Amino acid sequence: MHPKPSVALLQLNDIRLSLGSDCKESQAPKSFKLCISPGERLAILGPSGAGKTTLLRLMALDASPIKGVVLFKGRTQQSWATAELSRHRAVMPQSCQVAFGLEVKLVIALGRVARRSDPFVSDIVFEAARLARVDHLLSRRCDTLSGGEFARVHLARVFAQLWDTRDGLILVDEPLSALDLGLQEIILKALDRFATERQHAIIAVLHDVNHALRAFDRLLLVKEGQLYADIASKSQAVPLFESLYGLSLECLRTVDDALVVSPRSNRCGVA
Amino acid sequence: MSLLPQLQRIPPACWLGVALLLMLAFAVQVGAMPVHLNDWLDLPKMLDWFVQDKPTQTLSAGAHVLFNLRVPRLLLAVLVGASLGLSGALTQSLFRNPLAEPGLLGVSAGAACAAALTIVILSEMPLAVIAPVRAWLLPLAAFAGALAVCFALEQMARWMAPGSIAALLLTGIAVNALAGAVIGLCTYLADDEQLRSLSFWTLGSVAGAQWLWVWLFASLLGTAYYRLRHSMQTLNALALGEAAARQIGVDVPGLRKQIIVWVALLAGLAVAFCGMISFVGLIAPHLVRLWVGPDQRRVLPLAMLLGGLLLLVADTLARVVAVPAEIPVGIFTALIGGPFFFLLVRQARSQVR
Repeated sequence: MHPKPSVALLQLNDIRLSLGSDCKESQAPKSFKLCISPGERLAILGPSGAGKTTLLRLMALDASPIKGVVLFKGRTQQSWATAELSRHRAVMPQSCQVAFGLEVKLVIALGRVARRSDPFVSDIVFEAARLARVDHLLSRRCDTLSGGEFARVHLARVFAQLWDTRDGLILVDEPLSALDLGLQEIILKALDRFATERQHAIIAVLHDVNHALRAFDRLLLVKEGQLYADIASKSQAVPLFESLYGLSLECLRTVDDALVVSPRSNRCGVA
Repeated sequence: MSLLPQLQRIPPACWLGVALLLMLAFAVQVGAMPVHLNDWLDLPKMLDWFVQDKPTQTLSAGAHVLFNLRVPRLLLAVLVGASLGLSGALTQSLFRNPLAEPGLLGVSAGAACAAALTIVILSEMPLAVIAPVRAWLLPLAAFAGALAVCFALEQMARWMAPGSIAALLLTGIAVNALAGAVIGLCTYLADDEQLRSLSFWTLGSVAGAQWLWVWLFASLLGTAYYRLRHSMQTLNALALGEAAARQIGVDVPGLRKQIIVWVALLAGLAVAFCGMISFVGLIAPHLVRLWVGPDQRRVLPLAMLLGGLLLLVADTLARVVAVPAEIPVGIFTALIGGPFFFLLVRQARSQVR
């Protein structure tokens, strides 16, 4: 039933990103290809407006590329039914408003709306909420939540959506930007644990280079609609960050030998 | 769905059901013509009539009023109110906004406009249209008008500003004005007889109730509820927004089309038979949401019940306030609904920007 591990989870062939209408054919970004395996942790980094979210939408099969093919589990966007696709890939959006102030447990249960019969839904909702640390909020209305609580509710919804499948794909768009330091840790850990247990791949658009270095094993650097680099998440990536963001960076090592990057204080604009 | 156990859902529905029955029992007794106990004894004759499809025995005058005028009228008020409540709840979930309502958005006006055009054009036609066709042409036109406005609104809402209720309500104002102008033109062109039926549409009334209409609305409402009962959780998903709803596996375009057709059917046919009765579709779902929360699985059925109850109360008031004359019920619902709408707008100030 499940594809063999050797089969790519997500394949982008000959893709070109469309960034607004003003780019002429001659200046259009070069096309590129990508291949993502099951269980991989991939971070998309790049300056604002570089096309990170556009790329993520392509990978989520939310949009079709202007050129090229996107294959998820070997199938194109057209050959996936909406309901079937939702059992294999989940998306946590950057921001998402809930109308009418639905209850938290209802929003989490909505992650499983595409399943015809779902006998264990209340257990799954509770477990998903616990993993995302929102189990104390289950009966609250969404319009009374703070930004951080709301982000975790959406995370729980994503967990519920892919709770009982394997080899799926989770796409998150800047999941940590609205959160304080403690919550960033909690969410990264929860996401990591959830995905590891089920062999789900994670693709995340991130702002913080350090999060990418610590929790992800592959980095996609995107600039001006082009794939600037596709490298392993190691110290070798630091020079590329410098030219990507036009910054001079300093590498530091923590006591447990993890790499931390910080902008140099007095010299800026190396690129 | 085990999240909301069946048991939890019973009390509000019970309350409304009992209130509805009590109100029916009260409403059937009051009116210009008093109903005596004797008149109820004619019930077997009435049932005979239903079964054999022709009046075999003559009814007393009181029984005639009771069974052929009052009871169908009360039932029609309940059914039309329920249709309006359901279509209001559906519209609100479609546009993700508690201020959306078929009347305010111009859906009812579109239906009335199509109906008015049909009345005038039919009379101008050289060949005589036979009566039964004429009777069905009107609801059909009203449905088509409502459907056209619904689809136009959906396109407009997307094109102008997705998710902005202000844009939607402004479009509704434009549609209402346009429809008003067309109805006005029809009034100008109409002769005396047509004028009477036209003013009936703009005011709204359930006074002309017939048993056939009651059966029609009962089956329409039953079908609507039956077809929508599995879509209620997906309607909840629409509250997350279109993109998120698609990502969790909801066929959004299909769902939107389904809702639009039902809204047009329910609101359009309500207009075709009873004229423009505004605000019931706004008030009923809103009160229900205040009462049991925003879960569509509870809001839809309860909005139906409450809509039926509200229109029954309004119609009873319309009948008894100025006995023996009666006021069109549309005036009543607008009198109550207008201030209510202001209250709602005040509450939702942040959304109306």
